[in-house]
Amino acid sequence: MNQPELFCPEFALLLGALLSFACTAIGTTTRVAWLVSISAALIAAGTSALALSYQGQPFDAGIYSVDAFSQVLKLGISVALAFAIAISQRQDSTRASARTEVYFVLYLSALGMMMLVSATELLTLYIALELSAYGLYILAALHKRERLGSEAAAKYILFGAAASAISLYGISLIYGATQSTYISVIASSGGSPLLIVGIVLTLAGVLYKLAAFPVHAWAPDTYQGAPHEASAFLATASKVAAVGLLLRVLSMAGGETEHLKTLLTVVAVLSMSIGNLSALFQKDFKRLLGFSAVAHAGYLLLGLLTFSELGAAAAIFYVLTYVPIVVCAFLVVAAVSQNGANPSIASLAGLYKRSPFLGLVLLVAMFGLAGIPPTPGLAGKWFLFSAVIEDGHLWLVLVAAINATISLYYYLLVIKSVYLSPPGDAPAIKLSPTYSVTAFVAVVLVMFSGFYPAPVWSMAKASASLLF
Amino acid sequence: MSELPILSAILLCPLVALVITILLPESKATAIKVVNALAGLVTVGLSLVVWFQYDKTAGGYQMVEDVPWVADLGIRYTVAVDGISVVLTLLNAIVFFTGVLSMWTLQKRVKEFFAFMALLVFGVFGVFISLDIFVFFFFYEVAVLPMYPLIAIWGSTRKEYSAMKLTLFLMVGSALLFPGLIALFVESGGQTWNLVALSEPGTFSEGFQIFVYPLLYVGFGILAGMWPFHSWSPIGHVAAPTAVSMLHAGVLMKLGAFGILRIAIGVLPLGAAYWAPTFAFAATVGIVYGAFVAMRQTDFKYVIGFSSVSHMGIVLLGLNTLGVDGTNGAVFQMFAHGIMTALFFSAVGFIYDQTHDRDIRNFGGLAGQIPVATSFFIIAALCGMGVPGFASFWAELLVFIEALRVFPALGIAAIAGLIFTAAYILRVLGTAIFGPKNPKWDHLVEPTAWLTIPRIILIAVLLFFGFVPSVMLDMIGSVTGGK
Repeated sequence: MNQPELFCPEFALLLGALLSFACTAIGTTTRVAWLVSISAALIAAGTSALALSYQGQPFDAGIYSVDAFSQVLKLGISVALAFAIAISQRQDSTRASARTEVYFVLYLSALGMMMLVSATELLTLYIALELSAYGLYILAALHKRERLGSEAAAKYILFGAAASAISLYGISLIYGATQSTYISVIASSGGSPLLIVGIVLTLAGVLYKLAAFPVHAWAPDTYQGAPHEASAFLATASKVAAVGLLLRVLSMAGGETEHLKTLLTVVAVLSMSIGNLSALFQKDFKRLLGFSAVAHAGYLLLGLLTFSELGAAAAIFYVLTYVPIVVCAFLVVAAVSQNGANPSIASLAGLYKRSPFLGLVLLVAMFGLAGIPPTPGLAGKWFLFSAVIEDGHLWLVLVAAINATISLYYYLLVIKSVYLSPPGDAPAIKLSPTYSVTAFVAVVLVMFSGFYPAPVWSMAKASASLLF
Repeated sequence: MSELPILSAILLCPLVALVITILLPESKATAIKVVNALAGLVTVGLSLVVWFQYDKTAGGYQMVEDVPWVADLGIRYTVAVDGISVVLTLLNAIVFFTGVLSMWTLQKRVKEFFAFMALLVFGVFGVFISLDIFVFFFFYEVAVLPMYPLIAIWGSTRKEYSAMKLTLFLMVGSALLFPGLIALFVESGGQTWNLVALSEPGTFSEGFQIFVYPLLYVGFGILAGMWPFHSWSPIGHVAAPTAVSMLHAGVLMKLGAFGILRIAIGVLPLGAAYWAPTFAFAATVGIVYGAFVAMRQTDFKYVIGFSSVSHMGIVLLGLNTLGVDGTNGAVFQMFAHGIMTALFFSAVGFIYDQTHDRDIRNFGGLAGQIPVATSFFIIAALCGMGVPGFASFWAELLVFIEALRVFPALGIAAIAGLIFTAAYILRVLGTAIFGPKNPKWDHLVEPTAWLTIPRIILIAVLLFFGFVPSVMLDMIGSVTGGK
């Protein structure tokens, strides 16, 4: 291995994983384990930020690529991890026996995601995919109400195993078609029908990670049944990694994009529509966020199906700004949750009175997801739609924009509950300093990138320019 | 050219008020109101400065500020004013200021109310001065969304339903604008979002213009209350609290008309020419239909709500004539209607606050009980009928002259609609104001001197431009090229 410094972000996560494992091994209290983990996560986020400009090939050429693309996504993943660990400070939805172990699993999964966005060789990529998935399988099962947790994990694992098997089959077809597992070699091999079939099958595992149709059905159940911090991590870091993975897989098609485009268009439209229409009827807030995640997978696909630099940059921008927005939503979930129960939309009633700050945080989250300025939701959609129109699909933008209108209805129902309904006799909520600081940081990130999208956009653009 | 970024300063006023409002504790209600009133006053002052600094003989866009926002994509924070923006900026400032004063007695959740209101005003100012399509749309959306909490929390009469309906209607409009606006950027070569650059003749083929124009016209038109997509507007008016009705009818609906004028017609003139007869017809139906429905209403606010549909129909008809007089009249009407409706709602709001009743049939002879308060309503009513001496007289006159020239049949129908307008206004006056006294309302009190100030300002503006319309027409004419 040459240039070990290229591995800084991964090393930081590995260190975090080892430290949190040490905490479980010597049996420290959960509080100590949390302190160790959050410190390591902040260090990892800082390291990822410093490593933004790194580039090189630490192994043999073509296996593992450290470049602007991977580093930007790694920053997104490590920030999402730090947020998830911050949220886990109040672990009242996690099984008591597993509260210290959560961190080790979170770290391992994040490490897998980081390797995933750097992997440029299919077997490396598959191993990273599995590494990131196993952690999440465990996390999903840790809810303290065992039935809920088991159901969440069972759905997640069954879907995951099936999708991953299909992906593996796809990879074998790709190898058969091109006699190579190196993405750069495959991309320049000149397309063949077998290659396209292979890519389509490989997409199964990728779309599963993104929670897109037709492998989306786990998302609402798992979001609902997993502990709050696990759902938050799943909703943010996993999405960032999925975008990176998807871009890598799609880049294998070379110039043969016509059929993939058609397929992805169908997937995008169905994801948006099914996600949004199902979300209209949800009562459980986390479940609503699960369907909303399916809808957002659809929006993200809009950028990816254009196979253009603008589209890829728009998708990366969208997913990066999506992280703090979703963190805001899950932070409120964790803060209002009583004894680990999931908050229903009705139970958010009068939140503005119980905690004015939390009300504001949730307002920001809902406006962000709905794409209302001054959150970056609007800029993100605007960029995605620009890419789609540049590609010549005006009608697709119309469909997406009408979907956004539909989604506004259920986001407004949440806001209505928070700001209009009386709190009843629910007590005021006292936020811990950690939660206050986390929420503040998330809101500032959202507002800043909403008012001034340029810095995030130039990062996204720089990373996308490497692919096209 | 001014050295001070005066337009950004106007934009910042409501934002500063918003931040201070959020930082002040809820218990300091008076301080919150004072801060917002001051911000309103400063914006009025600055808007007047802009008015006098604007060089009418030179015309065009002035006081330009241009900063890259997302440089890679050609998005720039470009703000500037032409004669039309000058007029509408002043309108917004006046309605903001008088709106805050009208809500002086608000007790419920004061802090949040003024925070949302300042956010709305911030968005509206931004729309009026933006020259970049992305920035324009950004502010447009900022302006639209605060309506939801403002109506749903502080409103009355089926407020949650109305707020949701209004928001969803407006977002459907935005859904049409998304593809329409972005298509302009892509079709022009993907270099600039700047409206002036995109307005260059020859940028867009006629086929493209005809295809995209309806997306933009209807997208903006929904916010302007165009028939047949107007139904959100009257119920929104009815449910909203006074200052929000004032802002909503007074300013927000103008955003739609302004978007049509500046983007749809400004950038796609060939598309506008193709579609003008169709949309002029819809506008005329709106004028007649709005007035017709207003005749049958029994709720004060519904009458005004439908009269807004009718009056905005006049604006849209004027725009669709695509002529100089028609456009001048339309912009003048936007201003006059904004001030007039603000006065209307402020007058009705005052009565409602005391009686919690808005049914016309339950009143009678209010003129004898609270002559000062009703006089405001009467003046607004006269203005609504287009009586000479008020600003709207000139506005409607210009629109109808041009309409008769361009679409004779529609022009005649629209003028006939004025008869219904007169009928519904006289009916309200006859029943509720000058009818037999209802002793139930003998206890009503007159507005305090403090509360009359906003109304007197509005009346003064209406009369001023009614007697000296040339001041306004010179300003608008610097853009359209005539008076």
